[in-house]
Formats: sequence, structure tokens, C-alpha cells
Amino acid sequence: MRGGRVLNTKRFGIKRHTADKLFSLMLLLPAIITTIIFILIPVVDSIYRSFFDYRVRNIISGEPGIWNNFANYAKLFSNGKLVPSMINTLVFVFGVVIAQFIFGMALALILNTNMKASRFIRSIMMVPWVVPTIISGLVWLWMFQPQYGLVKFLAGVITGGKITDFAILNNPATAMFGVSVAALWKQIPLATLLLLAGLANVPEDMLEAAKIDGANGVQRFFRITMPYMKSVIKVTVSMSIIENFKQFPLFWTMTGGGPNNSTTTMAILSYREAFVSNNFGSGAAVTTVWMLMMIAVVFLYNRIFKESEV
Amino acid sequence: MKRNRLTANIVKYAVLTLILLFLLFPLFWVLMTSFKTNMEAYKFPPTLIPKAPTVQSYIDLFTKNNEFFMYYKNNFIVAGGAALMTTFIAIMSGYALSRFHFKWNGWIVASFTSAQMFPIISRLISLYKIMGDIHLINTRIGLVFAVGASMLPFTIMLMSSFYDGIPVELEEAAQIDGAGRFQILFQVVAPLIKPGMLAVGIYAFLLSWDDYLHASTLIQTDSLRTLSAGVALRYLGELSYDWSLINTISIVGTLPMVFLFFFFQKYMVKGLVAGAVKG
Repeated sequence: MRGGRVLNTKRFGIKRHTADKLFSLMLLLPAIITTIIFILIPVVDSIYRSFFDYRVRNIISGEPGIWNNFANYAKLFSNGKLVPSMINTLVFVFGVVIAQFIFGMALALILNTNMKASRFIRSIMMVPWVVPTIISGLVWLWMFQPQYGLVKFLAGVITGGKITDFAILNNPATAMFGVSVAALWKQIPLATLLLLAGLANVPEDMLEAAKIDGANGVQRFFRITMPYMKSVIKVTVSMSIIENFKQFPLFWTMTGGGPNNSTTTMAILSYREAFVSNNFGSGAAVTTVWMLMMIAVVFLYNRIFKESEV
Repeated sequence: MKRNRLTANIVKYAVLTLILLFLLFPLFWVLMTSFKTNMEAYKFPPTLIPKAPTVQSYIDLFTKNNEFFMYYKNNFIVAGGAALMTTFIAIMSGYALSRFHFKWNGWIVASFTSAQMFPIISRLISLYKIMGDIHLINTRIGLVFAVGASMLPFTIMLMSSFYDGIPVELEEAAQIDGAGRFQILFQVVAPLIKPGMLAVGIYAFLLSWDDYLHASTLIQTDSLRTLSAGVALRYLGELSYDWSLINTISIVGTLPMVFLFFFFQKYMVKGLVAGAVKG
């Protein structure tokens, strides 16, 4: 699996092997302990809490939560909060991941041709990627600003003054699109960078040979370029799926989940339940469903990739 | 044939220009707005270049709204601390994963990969209580640990891919010369993976600089808040925004990252690509 060579341990016999084991364990211990305390225990604990009536006052008074017969889950389904958030999350993830792949791939293909400014563009295009997420939310909040925003002005210019009112984030039908634009803006650079690295692995002579045999650009792309880039595409897309599933700050700054809950994703819902309504049990129930959803999507994704390999 | 080539080129440059405009113009626009007065910023139709450029909003940020710099300082402390902590742990663990292949490696890698997937909010619900119990809530050091831990899985894998590129013969030679294990790791191998340390460190710094959720839930004292949480709570009102202030904040909050990236992009790009493509 890994490329590195193993230190030669056989030469020194059993004793050597045990010593290696101890040393390796010692080096791994800080990472294992930190991961267990700050990641694994909290995650397991939050799944456990999702079955209890557990609120901020339980923490303050030190009283344990009370088992409430799946009431947290039942309530989320019955008050109609959970299912719309699940759908919103999936719409956002799929929309952004697909658009990001298309634009990232287009940009990568263009930059991969022998263009003069390619190196310069490769470096300058990365700037949105280093902009903190909250700030990228603010940048697009300003672009989309309903009265003085640039996007409103451009919409007016393009349609010849027909559109005078253009408030993407205030309209339940378009708010999700608005947030997705900000997400794409921040994420396209990294996708392009990774896909460019993948394009470097595609053998030039194969493409040349196919060209001589009369394959057109589209055929060459799907028959040669894509198959050679498979592992890079897989990593790029799965990173993007996970990142967008977890997206919180953009929604929180740009729409706060509104208008009319049209951008309330699992992240927003769980945060609101846990840290705004101070109902930790209910928030934990949302994150548990959210994790199950993520696991299902990632599992399906890996499955599809595996099948297409045959 | 020639005509086809021309249309292809036109399409190519048109697509390139559109995507680049999309990526770069918004920041240019924010930069321009930060040099406008609120009067001019609210003008419709907007002016592309400020008619009466002013640095008043930058001066205001220094003099009136200087809580911002408190958040800024905290962000440097927390992001720096988290980056140092993760890099140090990754130097050791990355080495172990790259050099020794025991049965447990598979388990460790699998649990790291899944640890990366868990939503932060899920962890925060419990961390809130756990950190309270060990008296780390509402402290910078607690935040450093929580943020640092969330980056460990990726940074360790990244670091171990750098170790994979170092030949083992060096270590074997040092062993024959009688060097101890720790000596070999820190004096022989570690100096060789300086590019890896830089890549991991800068990447960790970049990610912690971006943290919002940890800081906004685990910190309650205003003077301990970091950039994203502080800005969101103090400057983003419910009803109206002071846009020239916000745009100035956006520029000042982004600048360190832009400098860092352009200084170290060679290491970062190489490291990220290596980590993602191999990992």
C-alpha cells in the first residue's frame, strides 16, 4: 500500500522485532491518544447522548441525561425538520461537487496545454482557496448585496435594465444557488490543482497515437485521459464530497439557514438544535443521522468507482 | 482544419477568461470597496475604481474597531500552536507509519481516515462537556488541542508520504555506526524531510486559521476569541452591515494567508499533490 521500504528487521531476530514494535508504538502514541480523546470519544459519546434528554442545564447542574425512548429522533421526524435538511444537504453536496468537477477539469485541461502564462495563472488562481471560509462568505455577501451589490448591477446590465430587483440570498428558490457559488469559488482552485497533477500522469505518446489513429478530442478525453486520471479523480471528488457535507460557516454567515429554511442543511440544523436551542440530545440525534448519511454516500461512491473499474 | 483550430482557441480562451474572472474579480472588488467611503460604496451604479480613494476604513479598524486585532492576535497564537503541535506529532507518527509495517497499521490508517470524516459539530456536542471536565474549556490551549487533533489524520498521512521518499539505507548506515533510534529519527532523517515539515506546518496553519466552529463553541470570553468567531459575533449585525469595515476586515484577514501561500507555494503545492495523489 505504501511506497516506502521497510527497515530490515529480520537480520536481528525476534528481539529486534519486539523492539521495533515498541518504538513504533511509542511514536504513534501521542497521535493515538489525541485522536481518541478529541475525536473518537466525543463522536461515540455524542451518538450515545442522542438517545437521552440532555440539555445545557444537565451540564451546569451535573445531572445525567434521561433516556427518552428515541424521542429526539421521533420529534425531528414528526416536526418535519429533518427530512428537508437532508434533502438540502444532498442538493448542495451533489450540485457543488459536480459543478466543481466540471469547472475544475475545464480549467485544468486549458492550463495543461502549452500556454505562456500557465505557470503564473496556476499560482494566482489559488488565491480564493486561502481565503478563510467566513471571509469568502462575506465576499459573496457583498457581491450579492440586494441594494448596492455588483451582481444586481450586472444582472441589470445584461438584461438591459429589465431586472431591477435581484436578491439571490433572500429568495428561497435561489438562496441555495447563492451559497453554492461561494463554495465553488473557494473550492475550484484546489480541485484544479489536483486534477492538473493527475493530467501530468497521462502519457503524451498515447494521446499522440490516438490522434494519428483519428480519435477526436472528446474520444481522447474519455478513452485515454479519464482512465489514466482515475485515482486522482477519485481522491479529488471524495475530498470534495466530505468537505461539502461538513460545510457550516458559509451557510451560517450568508443565510443562517434561511430564508424560510431553504438553506437549512444538517450542519445548520444540528448547530441550531445543540447550540442555539441548547438541546444537546436533539443536536446529537441530527449529527448521528448526518454521519449515517455520509457513510452511506461515501460507501455508494466507492462502490460505483469499484464497479466502473471492471 | 485551420478554422477549427481557431474556434477551439477562441473557446479555450473565453472559458479561461470567464473562470479566472469568477475566481479573481470578487477579491479585486472587495479590495476596491475597502478603499471607498461608505457613501461611495453604496452608490448605484457602482464605481469600478474608487473616485476618491481613502484609507479611512483601515485607520478606523486600527483606532475604533481594534478588538479586531485582539482576535487577530489570538488567531495567530491558536493557529501557530495547532500547527506546531500537529507537525511535531506528525513527524513521529508519520515516521512510524512509513518505516514499520505492523498489523495495526491498517487499523490506525482506517481509523484516521474515518476520524477525518466525522462532522465537527458532532464532536463539539461532547467536547463541550469533556473539555469542561478537564478544565480546558474557554482556554486557548484547549482550543489548540481541539483544532490540532482535527487535523492530525491528514497531516500524519501527508508526512508519512514524505518519509516514503527517503531511502532507508541512510538509517541502516547510521544504525551500524551505533546511533540510537531517536537519534536516527531526529538527527538523521528529520533534517531530510524539512520540505515535508514546511508543507505540513503551513497546511495545518492554513486550516486552523480558517477554524470557526471550534472557537465559536469552546470559547466564551470575548478577549480569547479568534478571528472568524470574533468577526462573526461582533461585526455581523442582524440588520445592517458596515460594508466598508467588513470589506477592510476581509482584506486584512486574508492577507497573511496570501503572503504565506506565495512564499511557500512550492512546498505546499508539492506536498498537497503528493499527499492527495498517493494517499
